[in-house]
Amino acid sequence: MVNALPVSRVLLLCASFLAPPEGRAEWLAEWEAELWHVRRAGNGHAGGNQPSHREPGRKPGREPGGKPDAAVRRRRLTIAFCLGAFPDALWLRRNGRRQAPHSAFYAGSALRCGLGLVTVAAASMLLCCCLPRVRKALLPPPYRDAASLAIVSSGGYSASQLPRVRLSDYQSWRTSGRSVFQEVAFYRPAAASVRIADRSETLTIARASQNLFALLNLPSAGSGDLRTAKLVLTYQARQRLFPGGSDVMGRVVEIAGQPVSIAGVLPRNFWRLPGRMDGWMLEGEQGLDALPPNSKGYVLARLRISAFAGGSDGWRSIVVTRSGGEIDRFTCLSLARQSRQPFSIFLFTLFLACVALPATTPLPLGDYPEHGVRLPRSIRARRWIFLAAKFVLVAPAVFFCSVDLAYGVSAPGSPASFYIQFASSFIGLLFAFRWTLRDQRKRCPVCLRLLSNPARVGQASRNFLAWNGTELICAKGHGLLHIPELPTSWCGAQRWLYLDPSWRGLFSDGYVTAGGAV
Amino acid sequence: MRWMPVEPKLSHTAAMILQAIHAGQIYGFSVMEMTGLPSGTVYPAMRRLERDGLIVSKWEQASIAEAEQRPQRKYYKLTRTGRATLELIYRRYPLLERMIPSSPAGKA
Repeated sequence: MVNALPVSRVLLLCASFLAPPEGRAEWLAEWEAELWHVRRAGNGHAGGNQPSHREPGRKPGREPGGKPDAAVRRRRLTIAFCLGAFPDALWLRRNGRRQAPHSAFYAGSALRCGLGLVTVAAASMLLCCCLPRVRKALLPPPYRDAASLAIVSSGGYSASQLPRVRLSDYQSWRTSGRSVFQEVAFYRPAAASVRIADRSETLTIARASQNLFALLNLPSAGSGDLRTAKLVLTYQARQRLFPGGSDVMGRVVEIAGQPVSIAGVLPRNFWRLPGRMDGWMLEGEQGLDALPPNSKGYVLARLRISAFAGGSDGWRSIVVTRSGGEIDRFTCLSLARQSRQPFSIFLFTLFLACVALPATTPLPLGDYPEHGVRLPRSIRARRWIFLAAKFVLVAPAVFFCSVDLAYGVSAPGSPASFYIQFASSFIGLLFAFRWTLRDQRKRCPVCLRLLSNPARVGQASRNFLAWNGTELICAKGHGLLHIPELPTSWCGAQRWLYLDPSWRGLFSDGYVTAGGAV
Repeated sequence: MRWMPVEPKLSHTAAMILQAIHAGQIYGFSVMEMTGLPSGTVYPAMRRLERDGLIVSKWEQASIAEAEQRPQRKYYKLTRTGRATLELIYRRYPLLERMIPSSPAGKA
C-alpha cells in the first residue's frame, strides 16, 4: 500500500509553487504543521498504525461489508486535506499581490509602458527572424566581395527583378564592356521537363553561363569538365526529385531531352538574386549560343571598383560603347546595397515623419509652471529621459513591423516590397510619434504615472471670464492637470498645477490595512 | 483606537468559521473538524477574514511546539472588529450560536 506521507508532501510542495515567492516558506510551514495534526488525527481515528488482519477472501483495503478500511480512510483524508492547499495558494497569489501597491508594475506606470514597447519591438524582431523572406532581405548577401557585384538592368531599378537583358547584349558586353566589368554572367529561367528514370517533373530551370556560381563564390558548383552541361539544384528541388537523402552528385537526368549530370546542390537561402528557380543548367558559350539572340534573362556582373567610386547610393547608370559604335545605356544595382535598402527606406520615412509631425499634432507638451515648487533636477530630467526613451523604442518597433509586412507578402527587391515598406513605415512612425506625445501629456511630471479620474469642470461654452474643461489628477497627489475645452488667449494649452506635500494625505494607494486589530 | 463595527456581509461559511474561532478552535484543522468544511474552503476563507481585519494570525511559541515534539503551528483569534461583526452576524444567522456554541473564554 502506498504511504500517504510522501504523496501529501509532494502535493504540498507542488501547491507551494503557486504561492507568491515572498510568502512561500511561511505558507508551506503552516500547511506542513497542520498536516502533522491531520495525520495524527487519522492515526487516532484508525486506532494507530496497527496493520489490519486481513481475512482470507477479503479484498485488500476493504473491511467486511466492502467499506474501505482505516488505512485507506486515513490516506484519503490526508490527500483530501493536501488538495485544499492548491486553492489556498492560488488565492494568496491573486490577492497577496494586491497588497503590495508599491510595485513598479502598477497599471499606468512608466516602467510598464517601457516594457510594453520593448515587448512589441522584440516580438516584431522575432517575427523577422522567423520569416525566411524577411530574414533574407535584412541579412547581408553571402557572396564574396558583394560590394562589387551588381545586377545589370536595362529598364532601371524597377525592372531589375524581371529578365530584361537580351542574350546578344550580354554576349557583346563580355568583350566590349571590359572597362566596366571584370566578369559577366547570364541566366535565363524557363519551365523545363526534368526526367529521372521513368519519372518526369516540370521545374523552373535557368540556362546559365558556367561562371555564374564562380562569381557568387561557389566555385565548386559547376566545376569539372566544361564541355558538358552541368545541373545545380536548389535544396528544395533536390528533396523533391530525390527523396530519401541519397547522394545525387554525378547522377544524370534529362532536361528537354538533353542528358545533364548533377554537379551540386545549392545551400539553403544562398540564392538572393532575382528570379525563383529550382535549378541552373550551366553551359558553355556554345550552349548559350543555341538560344535565340533576343532571349531575355538576367545579367550578373562583377564591376571594376571605379564603376561605383564616389557614390553610396548603390546604383549607377553605365554607358558601354560597342565595337560597332553603338552605345548601350543600362543600370547596375549593387547587391550589397539591396540588403541595406530596408534601413535606407526606414531612415527616409523617419525624416519624413519628423517633418510631417507638426502638421498632424501639436508639439508642445503643455504648461508646467513651478510656482513655489522646486523639483529636484533628477525628477525633471527623468521626465525628458522617459520621453526620449519612448521615441527611441517606438522606432525599432515600427521598423521591424514594416519590414515584416513588406517582405512577408512580397519578394525582397521587388517594387511592391519597396512601396509597402515605405507606406507602412511612414504611417507607423507618424502614429507612433503622435501616441508618444499624447502619452507624455497624460502623465504626471513627477512620478510619470498616468493621470486618472477625469472630471468635467465649469459649464460648457462659458469661456468669457470663466473656465471649463477637464481636470485629471495624479493618484499619488503630485498635482492636477487642467485641459481646456477650447483654447483661449489666457489658457491655450493644458496646464499642470503642482500640489504641495500637505495634500498627499488625501490620496491613498487603495490598500486597506487590517484595522481594528488588537 | 475606536473601531467601527463592519456591516455583516459575510457568507454563511465565513460566519461559521468566525464562530468556530470564537468558540476556541484556533487552528485551521480544528476549524475544519468543527465546521465539517474542507481545507480548500476553510483556509482561503480565513485569509479573507484576516485581510478584512476580523481575525489575526500568530505563530505559537517555538518552545511549546518543541515540548510536544511537533512543528510550530499558526493560530487565529478574533479581533475587536471581528467580535463586533460576530454580534451583528447572529442577527442574520440566528442558529449559528447554537450550531457552534461559543466557549466561555471566547465570550470574555
